Amino acid sequence: MEINTERTDGVLVINAEGRIDGSNSAQFLESIQAVVSDDDNGVVLDFGGINYISSAGLRVILLLAKELRQKQTGFGVCSLSSSVKEIFTISGFDQIIAIFDSGADAVSSLK
Amino acid sequence: MASEKRSRRSGDTGPEPSHTYPYKILVVDDEPDLQPLILQRMRRPIRSGKYTFEFAQNGIEALEKLNAQPDIDMVVSDINMPQMDGLTLLEQIPSVNPNIRSVIISAYGDMQNIRTAMNRGAFDFVTKPLDFKDLRHTIARTLRNLVEWREALASRDQLVVLQNELDVASKIQQSILPTEFPQHERYGIHASMEPARNVGGDFYDILMLERDHIGLAIADVSDKGVPASLFMMSSRTLLKGTAIGLPQPGMVLSDVNDLLTEENETAMFVTVFYAVYSPMTGEVIYANGGHNPPLLIHADGSSEFVPRVGGIALGIVQGVPFSQGSITLQPGDTLLLYTDGVTEAMNAENEEFGVERLQAIFQDDPPTSAQHTNEAVFGAVHSFAGGTPQSDDITCLTISRISG
Repeated sequence: MEINTERTDGVLVINAEGRIDGSNSAQFLESIQAVVSDDDNGVVLDFGGINYISSAGLRVILLLAKELRQKQTGFGVCSLSSSVKEIFTISGFDQIIAIFDSGADAVSSLK
Repeated sequence: MASEKRSRRSGDTGPEPSHTYPYKILVVDDEPDLQPLILQRMRRPIRSGKYTFEFAQNGIEALEKLNAQPDIDMVVSDINMPQMDGLTLLEQIPSVNPNIRSVIISAYGDMQNIRTAMNRGAFDFVTKPLDFKDLRHTIARTLRNLVEWREALASRDQLVVLQNELDVASKIQQSILPTEFPQHERYGIHASMEPARNVGGDFYDILMLERDHIGLAIADVSDKGVPASLFMMSSRTLLKGTAIGLPQPGMVLSDVNDLLTEENETAMFVTVFYAVYSPMTGEVIYANGGHNPPLLIHADGSSEFVPRVGGIALGIVQGVPFSQGSITLQPGDTLLLYTDGVTEAMNAENEEFGVERLQAIFQDDPPTSAQHTNEAVFGAVHSFAGGTPQSDDITCLTISRISG
C-alpha cells in the first residue's frame, strides 16, 4: 500500500488510499513507522482516500497510538468517509483516537 | 555441440558448494585404472575433507552400495559396463534414493546415449577421455544443485508444518463452538460460523445461566492467524468464566476487558456483544464492546438495529465502563447477532453487503425459526458474493421467541 506524506508545522500528515485490511495492515504499519521521525510533534492519518478498514487495520491504528503516546507525540485521524467513521463508532475507537474533520484541523490542534 | 558445451563448462569457476561434511560420491566404471586415477587427481578435495569416493565396477554393484550407504550424495557412472550398464542404473537409482544426482561419463560426441541418459534423469555428463578439471567443475555444480534442492525440500517441509499448525488452530477454534442448541417451547436458538480460509477469530457462545436465563455472546478478534486464535481462546474462556451465575452484562464485559487488557502487548482486541435473555418475559439485557449492533426482526419482516449503548472493543483500555441497554422480544420476534463478515462481505464489484441488504432479506422472507434466519443470511451473503473469496469469518447467532 502506497502512502504519501507531508510535514506542516511539525506535524506529519500521512495520506493513504484504498482498503486497510489483513492483507496489507502489516505493510501499512511498517511504511508509517519508516516515515515517523522523533522530531514530529504530531502524526495524522488522513483517511480521505480510505474506503474500508478492517479490524486488522484498527489494530495497526492502536499500535501506532500506543507507540506515539510513549514518545509523547500527538496522534489523530482525519477526513473519515462515512463508512469508516461508522466502523470507528461501532468499535468504540472514536472514544480512544482523536478524530478531526480535516488535515488542517488536525495540524492546528497537534502542532 | 558437445565440444561447445565442454569449453563453456570448463570455464565455470563458480564457488564450491558450502558444506560441513564430506560429500560422498560413487564412481561406477568397469575400467580398473579409473579408481587410482580419481583418487590421485582428486586428492586435494579428498584431503581437505570435501569429498569421499566409493567405487563400483558395474550397475549391480553400484545399486548394492547405494542400498548399503544411504549417505551417498551423487553418482558418476560410465555407460558401457558388463552386467548392468549405466543407462539401466540411471533408471534404478530413483527407487533407491530419489535425492541422488547422477553424472554420466559418455564417449565423446555420443549424443544418442547422452540424450537417453538425460531423459532418464542424469543431471549432467562428462566425456571420455576424462578431463579432470571439467570433472571437478561438474561435480561441484552438481553438488551445489543438490544442496539447493535439499534446502527447497526443507522449506517445503516447514511450510507443511506451518500449514498443519494453522489447520490445528482452525479446528480448535471450531471445536469450541457449540453445535447443539437448547430446545425450548418458548424460544429457539441457532448459531453457525463459516470460517474464512485463514484462521480467523470469530466465536459465539450460548450459556445456560441461573433461573433459566440464557447468556448469548458473539465476538470477533482483530486480525487472523495463530496469535488471533490464541487471543480468541482466552477471550472465550474469560467470558464464560465471568458470565457464570447471573451477573449484569455490563459487569461481565468490564471484567473480561480488564483481564484481557492486562499485559496485552500485541494490541489485539476483541469486539463482543453479550446479552442475557429472560425466557419468561422476552427481555434482553445487553452490553456491547465495540461490536456490530444486532438486528431485531419482527414477525412481519420489518426490523431495526438494537439501540447503541457505546462501549469500546475489549483489550484496549482498562477500567472503562460498559453501559447496558434492554429490549424485549415480543412473541414472533427474532434477534440476529452477527459479525462484520456478514455486512462486510464483498462482491466482484467491490461493494459491501451492508446493513440495508441484511434488513432486506427479511422484508420478503420473514423469519420462521432461528435456523431459518441464519440460513437466509448465509444464503443471501453467498449469492451476493458470487465467486469472490471470503476474507473474514461469517458468524450468526440467532434467538427467536416462539409465538403462542
